[in-house]
Amino acid sequence: MELPVLNEKPTQGGCAASSCGSSDDQLNHLSDEIRAKVQNHPCYSEDAHHYFARMHVAVAPACNIQCHYCNRKYDCANESRPGVVSELLTPNQAVKKTMAVAANIPQMTVLGIAGPGDPLANPERTFETFRRLSEEAPDIKLCVSTNGLALPDAVEELSKHNIDHVTITINCVDPKIGAKIYPWIFWKNKRIKGEKAAKILIEQQQKGLEMLVAKGILVKVNSVMIPGVNDKHLAEVSKIVKAKGAFLHNVMPLIAEAEHGTFYGVMGQRGPTALELQELQDDCSGDMNMMRHCRQCRADAVGMLGEDRGDEFTLDKIEDMEIDYQAAMEKRKVIHQAIEVEMNSKRAAKVEVKAEKLGTRPALMAVATSGQGVINVHFGHAKEFLIYEASPEGVRFISHRKVDQYCEGDTSCGDGESVLQRTIRTLEGCEAVLCSKIGYEPWEMLETAGIMPNGEHAMEEIEAAVMLVYNEMAKSGKLDEVKQRATA
Amino acid sequence: MSLKIIESCVNCFACEPLCPSKAIYEAKPHFLIDAKKCTECVGDFDVPQCASICPIEGAILDALNVPLNPAGSLTGIPPEKMAEAMAELQAH
Ligand code: SF4
Ligand code: SF4
Ligand code: SF4
Repeated sequence: MELPVLNEKPTQGGCAASSCGSSDDQLNHLSDEIRAKVQNHPCYSEDAHHYFARMHVAVAPACNIQCHYCNRKYDCANESRPGVVSELLTPNQAVKKTMAVAANIPQMTVLGIAGPGDPLANPERTFETFRRLSEEAPDIKLCVSTNGLALPDAVEELSKHNIDHVTITINCVDPKIGAKIYPWIFWKNKRIKGEKAAKILIEQQQKGLEMLVAKGILVKVNSVMIPGVNDKHLAEVSKIVKAKGAFLHNVMPLIAEAEHGTFYGVMGQRGPTALELQELQDDCSGDMNMMRHCRQCRADAVGMLGEDRGDEFTLDKIEDMEIDYQAAMEKRKVIHQAIEVEMNSKRAAKVEVKAEKLGTRPALMAVATSGQGVINVHFGHAKEFLIYEASPEGVRFISHRKVDQYCEGDTSCGDGESVLQRTIRTLEGCEAVLCSKIGYEPWEMLETAGIMPNGEHAMEEIEAAVMLVYNEMAKSGKLDEVKQRATA
Repeated sequence: MSLKIIESCVNCFACEPLCPSKAIYEAKPHFLIDAKKCTECVGDFDVPQCASICPIEGAILDALNVPLNPAGSLTGIPPEKMAEAMAELQAH
């Protein structure tokens, strides 16, 4: 599922502000060893994911459980958008594709297996892919997501490869609640239903988590927030998984539509509102590092920051590619080192722009960027916007919004809506949009929609520019009135 | 006696490795069961393995063409609810 992610609330006063270093607020709680692993990670470090990218390969079709938010006609709903079907690859094809992408997009540093079913329910296909990549492309980090049922049996094998982190989807620790989320599991040659099934799944998840932590493998926990089912329960889940050593807890809102054909969709179970998400996050804050940066990339997406270059690496195209991975690895190393130098100097040189006026209300702003931490995309070319919230306390990253999201034949799009209209609709709730350049027509349309276009900060550092714009808005008195705060 | 896989199969590969008789094979447009090899798991397991992991209701039938996992049995969605939801979507 491509899901919005909860934004992190400051635990102490100024710490959500950019002055702390964009990711410090969530990394401070971690041990040095874990922090080192996370710091340059494209999925977890805000500035790193402006520079590095990850990809997924779909090699694992089978699943060993059923979740009520999943329709098995499509990809695993834990990791991809509802209703998406990825092209299934054999391990051999997956290895070839990964190496082709790594050779052509040197920023690609992490390879994930996330479906279309449960990777660990397909141990042969998953482990063959990992085994070969660990040998043939040792500079690529590997990650895997799982529902946890088969995890304890897989830990030994996982620890043999270049596994960077494992994501477990844990929606509950109480079988009574679990029975409302998982209708069945396949366990020891039988299909098991009800609380008994949920109890086994929960035990396996927890055992797997403990075993991974004991092996020193990073563990991230995902939870799907289902109002009326596990919403009140997730704060406890958060506490428990953190106590056991998970380094991040990522709460995703349930997305349930009848047309997805899932149990929740058809039965009319609703997803949480933005406010409910926020409240849950408040409940969890202080006892878990909530994650903001992960964009739940589509299971087979390729490329940087929301771009998808998958079309360049279709099966027939990679068939014809000759890849000298030794040479590619040399090249990648040089590029990675240069990126690290750039990232470190950017971190060191960060200029802090302070709010000039106190007591003004916060405002959301959208930024068009293709990475490097600067505003560098033309409004009309932006496929994704980063949403920031500016307030007298500072600037904090809130979420990513994609243009076009869920827009393939979706009724909510309306017929004949232009790309421009769609883009503007994506920016709902934002008061300004910062881009490198913008045309006359979109300028007018944005103004009409109450969003202030701004092309004055091209190539400038995002957070500083957002604060400058905020200061201008504050000076003009725009931010004095108490406006219903828009949530991202 | 044997089971069969019909066109609602989504080719998820889950059943294939479980078959004690190696009766299941990948085919186009969907997986199939070799009727000569399938034993309905008798002698190996209490329940037919393929039908115990298959996530798709109605994809596996017995010799009398009765689905082993009838509508509603796996997803928990009452068939009339499903029909209602689909009719509603059609209407839009
Ligand atoms: S684990 Fe993933 S593939 Fe399996 S039922 Fe749940 S969401 Fe679907
Ligand atoms: S019933 Fe048993 S023997 Fe027959 S195809 Fe299914 S798994 Fe194989
Ligand atoms: S488990 Fe069911 S859906 Fe999956 S391949 Fe076998 S018959 Fe098809």
